[in-house]
Amino acid sequence: MKVLETKGLKKTFMVKRKQPGLGGSFRSLWKPEWGEKEAVKGIDLAVEEGETIAFLGPNGAGKSTTIKMLTGILHPTSGEAKVLGYTPWQERGRLAYLIGTVFGQKSQLWYHLPPSDTFELMSRIYELDRDVYLRRKASLIERFDLGPYLNVPVRKLSLGERMRCEIAASFLHGPRLLFLDEPTIGLDVIIKERIRELIAELNREEGTTVFLTSHDAGDIEKLCRRAVVIHHGGIMVDGPVEGLKRDILRYKTVTVRLAGEGRGSGAAVQGLAGTELLEAEEGVLKLSVDLTSTDIETVLSRLMGSIRIADVTIEDPPMEEVIKTLFSRSRDHDSAAGGSFGGEGGGLP
Amino acid sequence: MKTEVQNLEGTVRGYDPLGDRGWGRRRYSSPKEAAVLKGRKYAAVGTITFKQQTAYMADFLIRSVFLLLILFIFMQLWSAAYSGQGGAEASIGGFVLRDIIWYLVLTEAFTMACPQQCTRIEEEVKSGGVAVRLLTPISYVGYQYFSYMGEALLRFGVNLAAGMLIGWLMVGPPDFGFGWAGMAALGLGSFTIAYLLNMSIALCAFWVEETRGLEFVLQKLQFTVGGMLIPLDLMPHWLQQICAWLPFQAVLYFPAKTAVGGMGALGAFLGIQMIWIVLLGALVAWIYSRGVRRLNVNGG
Repeated sequence: MKVLETKGLKKTFMVKRKQPGLGGSFRSLWKPEWGEKEAVKGIDLAVEEGETIAFLGPNGAGKSTTIKMLTGILHPTSGEAKVLGYTPWQERGRLAYLIGTVFGQKSQLWYHLPPSDTFELMSRIYELDRDVYLRRKASLIERFDLGPYLNVPVRKLSLGERMRCEIAASFLHGPRLLFLDEPTIGLDVIIKERIRELIAELNREEGTTVFLTSHDAGDIEKLCRRAVVIHHGGIMVDGPVEGLKRDILRYKTVTVRLAGEGRGSGAAVQGLAGTELLEAEEGVLKLSVDLTSTDIETVLSRLMGSIRIADVTIEDPPMEEVIKTLFSRSRDHDSAAGGSFGGEGGGLP
Repeated sequence: MKTEVQNLEGTVRGYDPLGDRGWGRRRYSSPKEAAVLKGRKYAAVGTITFKQQTAYMADFLIRSVFLLLILFIFMQLWSAAYSGQGGAEASIGGFVLRDIIWYLVLTEAFTMACPQQCTRIEEEVKSGGVAVRLLTPISYVGYQYFSYMGEALLRFGVNLAAGMLIGWLMVGPPDFGFGWAGMAALGLGSFTIAYLLNMSIALCAFWVEETRGLEFVLQKLQFTVGGMLIPLDLMPHWLQQICAWLPFQAVLYFPAKTAVGGMGALGAFLGIQMIWIVLLGALVAWIYSRGVRRLNVNGG
C-alpha cells in the first residue's frame, strides 16, 4: 500500500534580483526585478508502507522544499501529492495527526521545562486517550532510556540526550510516516548509532515508514533500504541503497589473506586490467577492482593461479565514497548539460 | 474495523482508527467529546507557556523597577498639574490625583504584560521554527492566542502586585470596590484585542522580513489614543470622538477606567470589546489564511 505518491510536484520561487552595490539596493527598492527559481522541477515518487527511504542530494538540491510540500507547509506551484490519502497542503491539519517530524536543527521541546512537560502537551495536541498516552510514554521512556532526563529542564540536557527526547516526542502519537531531517547532526558516534537503532526498531516493530534526509553516510547505510537522490530539483537516482553502491561506484575492494609466505605476491596482479594494488602488507593484499574493465572472477582466478590464499573478503565501497562520487558526477553532468537535470527522472545510470 | 486503506481511498473523513496498534486515533464518540478534547488541547498550550514563563520571573521583577520610575515621574507631573487646580482633591475630568495614579498603575500593568508577539513570530519565521508549529495538529492562530494569554496573565499578575505596592506607597490604598470585578471582566477582552491587534501586524512577517516598524507605531498609538498615559476623558473633545471609533481604547482605557471610575459603562464597554474581537478576529483569520499560503518556511 502506498503511503506517499507524487506526480509532477513542482515549486517555483519568485526571487528578487538585486544589482550589486548601494545603487543596486536603491534600485531594487524602487523597481524590484523578479526572477524565477525552480527549486523542484517535477518529482514523481511513490513510497510503500514500511519503507525506509534516504532522500539525498547536495545543499540546494530541493530536498527541504520537497519535504515541506509533502508535509503541507508549502504550497507547490503545480503537481499533485497524496500522503496517507491526504493532499498535504490542503489537509495539513488532518495529516498532522498521522505524521511525525524530527528536525535536527529545530527543537520542539520547551527549553526551560523538562521533556515530560512537552510530552504532556503533545498528548493533548494529538488528543491521545489518557491510558494510551501513559502506556505509550512508559514504553518510549524504557526504549529510549529517558528515565534520568525526563524531569530535567531541556536547557540542561546534552545534545544527544535532547535528540533522544525529540525523537521520542515525535513518536508519542504513533506516526505512520516519519520525516527525519538530519536527525543525527552534531552527535557523537555512539549516540548516532543508538538513534539509528531506535529508529530502525520502530520501523520494524510498528511498520513506520521512514523518510530520511541526511548527509551522514552512516545514517543512510544503517537505516535505509532505498535511496532517492535529487539534484537541481529532479530525481537523479531512485533505487536500493545496496544497488546504489554497486552501480554508482563500479569497484570493489578485495582483501586477500595469504597462506604461508607471501613475499612478492603483489606481482601476481601486476598488469591485470582494472586492478590496482592498494596495500601489500605482510601476508595481506588489498586490491581495488574496477568492474567496468574486469570482473571479480578473473582477478580471483589469476590470484589463485599464482599464490596460495587463506581467506578472501570482497567489499562494496563505503557509502561516503558513493555520495561523494554521486554529487561530483552530478556537478560534471551539470556543466555538460547546461544545468538542467529535471527531465532525467529515475533510472540508474 | 476501519483502517487506513479506506482512508487512502478517500472514504473516511476524519479520524483514523489505528486501534490495532494500540495507540492510534479513534473517532470522537460525540460532538461533546470533540469539544472537550479541543478545549484541553488549547488549555495545555496556555498552561505550558505559563510554566515556561515562570523561568523569566527575575526578568519580570526587574521590569517592575521600570514601573516604579514611570510612576514616580508621573506622580511629580500630575502633582504639579493638580496643585494648579487646587490640590490633590481637585477633580480634572472626573479624576482626582489618586485616581489618576491608580489609573496609570493599571494601564502600565496591562501594557507591560503584553508579550512581544511581533518579535516572537518574526523570530519563528526567520529561524524556520514556525514549521514545528505548523506540523502539529493545532491551529496556529489558536496556539499563539493561548500562548499569549498564558504569558500575559502571569506577567499581569506580577506587574499588578508590583504596581499595587508602588501605588499604595505613593497615594494610599485603591478604592475600586466592584471596580475590581469590572476590570477582571474587561481584562480578558483587553488582552484578546491586544493579541489580535499585534497578531495582525506580526503575521505580516509571512510576507516581509521586518515587522518591528509597524509594531512601534501600534505601541505608540496605544500609549496615546489608547489612553495609556492620559485617560481619554482628559483629551480634547474632537480627539475623544476619534478615539471612540478606534480599537485602542478597548485595550487599556476600558479596564482601567472601569476600575477607577466605576461600573457605569461596563455593559457598553463589554459590548464594544465584543464587536472589536469579532472584527479583528476576522481580520487576523483573513491575513493568516492568505499568509500561510505564501509563507516560505526558512531553513533546511
